[in-house]
Amino acid sequence: MVNPVLLIVIPLGGAFAIPLFAFISKHLSKYISMIVALAMLIIVGVLIPAVSKNPIVVKIGGFRPPFGINLVVSPFSLFFAGIVSLVGFLVSIYAIKYIQKGDIDKYHLLFLLFLAGSVGVVLTGDIFNMFVFFEILCISSYALVAYNRDKDGVEAGIKYLIQGSVGSAFILIGIGLIYGLCGSLNMADIANQIHSVNSPLLFLALFLFITGFGIEGAIFPLNAWLPDAHSSAPSTISAVLSGFAIEVGIYAVVRFVWTVFGASNLLHFLAGLGILTLLIGELSAFKQNDIKRLLAYSSIGQIGLILFAISIGTAESISGGLFQVLSHALSKALLFLAAGYMIWKVSSRKIEEMKGIGVRMPITSFCFLIGAFSLVGLPPFIGFPSKFIIIKSALLTHQAYFYFLVGAVLLGTVIEISYFFKLLQGIFSKTEETGIDEAPLTALVPMVILTLLIVGIGVYPQAINQFLHLASHNLIDKMGYIEQVLGAL
Amino acid sequence: MEFIENYLYYIASFGLILIGLYIILIKKNLIKMIIGLSIMDTGVNILLISMGYLSGGTAPIFSRENLLPSRMVDPVPQALVLTAIVIGLAIIALALSLTIVLYRHYGTLNTRKIRDLKW
Amino acid sequence: MRKAVSFILVVIIAIGIGLSLQEVPFGKTKSEVRKYCLEKGIEQTGATNIVTSVVVNYRGFDTLGEVTVLFLAAIGLSAILYREKEGERKNRRRSSLILYTGCKFLFPLILLFGAYIFIHGHLTPGGGFQGGAIVASGFLLVILGSRSWWGFNRSKMKITESLSGLIFVVVGLLGLLYGGHFLLNYLPKGIPNELFSAGIIPIIYIAIGFKVGSEITGIIDDMIRSG
Repeated sequence: MVNPVLLIVIPLGGAFAIPLFAFISKHLSKYISMIVALAMLIIVGVLIPAVSKNPIVVKIGGFRPPFGINLVVSPFSLFFAGIVSLVGFLVSIYAIKYIQKGDIDKYHLLFLLFLAGSVGVVLTGDIFNMFVFFEILCISSYALVAYNRDKDGVEAGIKYLIQGSVGSAFILIGIGLIYGLCGSLNMADIANQIHSVNSPLLFLALFLFITGFGIEGAIFPLNAWLPDAHSSAPSTISAVLSGFAIEVGIYAVVRFVWTVFGASNLLHFLAGLGILTLLIGELSAFKQNDIKRLLAYSSIGQIGLILFAISIGTAESISGGLFQVLSHALSKALLFLAAGYMIWKVSSRKIEEMKGIGVRMPITSFCFLIGAFSLVGLPPFIGFPSKFIIIKSALLTHQAYFYFLVGAVLLGTVIEISYFFKLLQGIFSKTEETGIDEAPLTALVPMVILTLLIVGIGVYPQAINQFLHLASHNLIDKMGYIEQVLGAL
Repeated sequence: MEFIENYLYYIASFGLILIGLYIILIKKNLIKMIIGLSIMDTGVNILLISMGYLSGGTAPIFSRENLLPSRMVDPVPQALVLTAIVIGLAIIALALSLTIVLYRHYGTLNTRKIRDLKW
Repeated sequence: MRKAVSFILVVIIAIGIGLSLQEVPFGKTKSEVRKYCLEKGIEQTGATNIVTSVVVNYRGFDTLGEVTVLFLAAIGLSAILYREKEGERKNRRRSSLILYTGCKFLFPLILLFGAYIFIHGHLTPGGGFQGGAIVASGFLLVILGSRSWWGFNRSKMKITESLSGLIFVVVGLLGLLYGGHFLLNYLPKGIPNELFSAGIIPIIYIAIGFKVGSEITGIIDDMIRSG
């Protein structure tokens, strides 16, 4: 039996060790980050069968949950950890050749800490511990966004930093208020006591938490940093930021709203907010002529859809939302990775300059095509079953409000199709330039793996359906969560 | 008077938080915004500490024999504040380094004059 | 306009907070966790300073994260300030004789004091972070007072940083190996109020002291080099 704490400790230890390995050879660090991510992926794989039967509660230091820190490895959190390690592993293969400028071992070190922070946020069962790992995630992404040290990157970095740290100050105030009210930091313990506390402070605390985590999760009024940060970061970092960092933010919001506060009366509001986010994102993406900015805005749209799906609140819709998380992580990572080498070859981010790149880089462009099709939800790719489940479950609620919102989702999809079509038309248009100039093998391997996953799961969605059902039931079952953590108290 | 006595720490901490927030919202100079961030952090730390205070309590250290656990202030918020201070320090250090590089590129710290920075 | 909007926003938040804060009376903490830590702290961790036992033992995982955050800031800072070529060495004004002599005299004392703080973290107020910060202030004094300073030997500093971080992780992992819990306090707790007590707490705090000292010194060094 593997202890799940290794999922967090291995990347931390690897990061601490990288400077030592850098003395031996400058090139070692890129392989270390790949090996560590692979190890995380293997651990997640080993844990899946055990966790599907029964969630694992890990006591750090051997102290009983309300007093020490504990990790809760439930299907819901392990699902996110799996996405983090899968996308992290593939991106670290891509980065071997892609990252050439700057201080390379520092890049890999920051990347490992980024992985550690994301896994920590999803696994922990303690609000302050979540804050600490959230800070690791945020601070490493501030540094990674500015890694190229060019004008755009630094500017986006400082913008992201100021907004993000106001958000983390908000989270910290919320933690202080909750500790004052409940005298505990353990999520299950707070969830247990929160019904006996009836105070406007609770509302204030929830507001602070949603604002704080919503900044990382890019919920509508709080996402001003995202297009800049995602578009000016190195493409590998855009892939992980879009692929799972914002989903981790959404995870934190969902954890607080569902498990800690049990605020089911807020769900309609959040669903509306999700749809607003979706429309704003898609509409802004429509008028972009910078390929990475377009993808970044499309991420905002997808996040809105995920938030909407989870906020419908039925088991079916939550598993649809989680399916969408997976589909978005794979497709968007693929799109950003493919775009990375396209930008490299034409040395511009403008869509007009991309003309004819489809002839020069056939495999990369084909992968890009698959990613785009999957993102808009065409069968037989992974985006189709996820969107289908979401819309079906929204219609099954038989509420006029959700019917209305589904209309908005469809409208968003139409906009999405139109801008991706425009983009693909540009990429595959004929030019007189011939001669194949393909991306290196280290970039093609992760892209092809992602493409295969997208097609594979799209054709055979039953493969993960069962696990998603477990995860969504696990999220809804709040009393079960409290019982697992606190034991028979 | 009793009100002040009971809520002095809360007033101070939220005063600092709101001052910091106000600075971040209205100032145009990046260094001043970072100072605002720092003030806000300080306010949050005071809030956390005051959540665990016990009137007339002693420090949670058993350095003498006759100290009672029930007369000690809460050690947990103090540990949290220790962590929060270090995290605040890390953020400020990173923000300053980004500001240094930004200054190298633009030669100004005024956020209005920097091209894309719309706050 | 902008000022007015910001001001109104801040005032609204202030009123909201003011109205709702009466629920948590000041100076009457009622936490169960507090009671447990204060009553069982010495018995379970062996440290007389309960804040330390909370920081390193009950919430040791937070501290690992906290150490990581500082490490992250130091690394991120040097990655951002990194230059392909070493910048021009500007002529710095030489420090006066009084400053120079005073720093030379004070430096070992400050180091000693910092070491004292982090070695006695489980007995007296203080600990790895505070001690490390004091050590770093000693190095800052060296920079201020030196007559010809062109940066520290960074590779030694990096080794210290990495090794002490690894020690923290390895000590935690040994607990996993030994008793099945990460960061379990598996060493003998000893007699409270003695230097050699509290199991793994002093080891971790010494590692943190070295790590924080070298990291903050590294941050200062990077900033001065880039200036």
